[in-house]
Amino acid sequence: RVLSRRRLGGPGSSPPTCRSKCGKCLPCKPVHVPIHPGFSMPLEYYPEAWRCKCGNKLFMP
Amino acid sequence: LLLPLASPLSDEGKALMSIKASFSNVANVLLDWDDVHNDDFCSWRGVSCSNFSTSVAALNLSSLNLGGEISPAIRDLKNLQSLDLQGNNLTGQIPDEIGYCVYLMHLDLSNNILYGDIPFSISKLKQLDFLNLKNNQFTGPIPSTLTQIPNLKTLDLAQNQLTGEIPRLIYWNEVLQYLGLRGNSLTGSLSPDMCQLTGLWFFDVRGNNLTGTIPENIGNCTSFEILDISYNQITGEIPYNIGFLQVATLSLQGNRLTGKIPEVIGLMQALAVLDLSENELVGPIPSILGNLSYTGKLYLHGNKLTGRIPPELGNMTKLSYLQLNENQLNGVIPAELGKLEQLFELNLANNNLEGPIPDNISSCTALNQLNVHGNHLNGSIPSGLKHLESLTYLNLSSNQFMGSIPVELGHIINLDTLDLSSNGFTGQIPASVGDLEHLLTLNLSHNHLDGHIPAEFGTLKSIQEIDISFNTLWGSIPEELGQLQNLASLILNDNNLNGRFPNQLTNCLSLDNLNISYNNFTGVIPQGKNFSRFPPDSFIGNPLLCGNWPGSICDPTPKI
Repeated sequence: RVLSRRRLGGPGSSPPTCRSKCGKCLPCKPVHVPIHPGFSMPLEYYPEAWRCKCGNKLFMP
Repeated sequence: LLLPLASPLSDEGKALMSIKASFSNVANVLLDWDDVHNDDFCSWRGVSCSNFSTSVAALNLSSLNLGGEISPAIRDLKNLQSLDLQGNNLTGQIPDEIGYCVYLMHLDLSNNILYGDIPFSISKLKQLDFLNLKNNQFTGPIPSTLTQIPNLKTLDLAQNQLTGEIPRLIYWNEVLQYLGLRGNSLTGSLSPDMCQLTGLWFFDVRGNNLTGTIPENIGNCTSFEILDISYNQITGEIPYNIGFLQVATLSLQGNRLTGKIPEVIGLMQALAVLDLSENELVGPIPSILGNLSYTGKLYLHGNKLTGRIPPELGNMTKLSYLQLNENQLNGVIPAELGKLEQLFELNLANNNLEGPIPDNISSCTALNQLNVHGNHLNGSIPSGLKHLESLTYLNLSSNQFMGSIPVELGHIINLDTLDLSSNGFTGQIPASVGDLEHLLTLNLSHNHLDGHIPAEFGTLKSIQEIDISFNTLWGSIPEELGQLQNLASLILNDNNLNGRFPNQLTNCLSLDNLNISYNNFTGVIPQGKNFSRFPPDSFIGNPLLCGNWPGSICDPTPKI
C-alpha cells in the first residue's frame, strides 16, 4: 500500500490521481478523509489522508 | 437429583463462566451465559465458535458497560482468534495468561480502565495483527518484545501513561501500518530508524515528552500519509529533506522548532493539513506556500514570523482554515485573500498589520470566523462585510478603525460574538444591532460612540455580555434591558449616562456583573430581588446616585 506518486528526482508531492482506483466505478476522485485517532480534544481537528471516492464509496489510492 | 442433568461443560464453557464471574455489572447483558439452562455456549451473547467445532474463536463484548477484571481463565480459550472488550469499564491488569491464546489475531481492549504494565506475554501472540490498548491507564515502558510479533499491522497504545523511550526495534518492521502513541509520557528522541517502517501510513506521537530534533532523513519515510509529532519538545530546524515526504497531514505544532519555514514545503501538494503553529519559527511566510492548492488547513499561528502575508496565499483555493495569528507579520491584508471562497476561519489577530480590511474579504462567503484583533488596522468597516452571512464571530478589536458602525452589521444575523472594542469608532450605535438575536457577546467599549443606548438592545434575547464602557454615551438605560433573561454581565461605566436606574433590571435574574460607575445617574439603586449583591464599586462615580455604600449621598452610616 505504499503510495507511488513520487516525482522522479526531486522533492515534492501531489495528490493521488485515482486513475482506475475505484474498480469499475466512475468518476473516481481524490478526497480528504479525516482519520479518527481516537480520543482527541473537543474542537481539535483530525488528521486527514487521501482516499479515492466514487459515489459514497472510498478506495485506497 | 431430580433436576434435568446438564451435560458437563467443556473446559472452554467453564472458562467462559469464570470470565463472567470476574466481570461485574453482568446482570442484564450476560443473561444467557447460563450453564444451568443453556450449555451451548457457542450461542451465548458475544461468543462465536469456529465452524465444525465447539471451540471459541471470537469473543466480542464491546460497549456493554462491563466492570470487573479480565479473568486469567482466558488462557483456556485456546483457539481464540479475536477478543474485543473495548468500551467497557474493565479494570485491573491484563492477565499474563493472555499469552496462551496463541491464535489471537485481533486484540482490542481499548477504552477501559486497565492499568499496570503491558505484559510481555502479549509478545507470544505470533499471529497478532491488530493490538489496540488505547485509552486505558497502562504504565511502564512499551515492551520492546512487541517487535517480535511478526504480523502486527496495527499497534495503538495512545492515551495511556506509558513512559520510557520508543523501542528502536519497533521501527524495523515492514508490516506495521498504524502506530498510535499519542497522549503518553514517552521520552527520548525520534530515531532515524523510523523510516525503516516501509509499510507504515499512520505515525502519531502527539502529546508526549519527546526531545531532540526531527531526523535529517525524515524524507525517507515515503509511505507515511499522516505524520503527527505535535506537542512534544522537539527542537532544531525543520529539515529540507521533509520536502520528500508524501504526507497528507504534517503536524509539527507545539514544539520548539526554530529557523525558517523551508521553501520546499511549498512543493508538497499532497498536503491536506499543514500545521507548524506554536513553535519558534522566524522569517517570512514563503510565498511558494501559495502552490498548495489542495491544502484545506494551514496553521502558522504562535510563531515569530515576520514580513508580509504573501498575496499568493489567495491561490490556495481549497483553504478552509487560515490561522496566522500571534506572529509579527506586517504590511496590509492582501486583497487576494478574497479569492478563498471556501475559507471558514481567518485569524490574523495579534500581528502588526496595517491598512484597511480589503473590500474583497466580502467575497469569502463561507467565512464563519474573522478575527483581526490587536493589529494597527485602520479605515472604516467595509460595507461589503454584510454579505458574510455565515459569520458567527467577528472581532475587530484593538485596532485603529474609524467611522461609524454600519447599520448593515445587523444583517449578519448569525453573529454570536461582535467585538469592536478599543478602536476609534464614532457616531451612534445603530438600532439594527438589536436584530442580532443569536448574539451572546457584544463589546463596543473604548471607542468614541455617542448618542443613546438603543432600546432595541431589549430584543437581544440570547445576549450574555454587553460591554459599552468608555464611550461618550448619554441618556438613560432603556428599561427594555429588563427583558434580557440571559444577561450575566452589563458594563456601562465611564460614559455620560444619566437618569434613574430602571427598576426593570431587577428582572435580569442572571445578572451577576454590573458596572455603571462614573456616569451621571440619579435616584436610588433598586434594592429588590437581591440587587444588593452588587458591590459599591459597581456604582461609584455617580455623585447624585443614592445607595447603600459609604460616601453615597444617602450613606446610611452615621457621620461622626
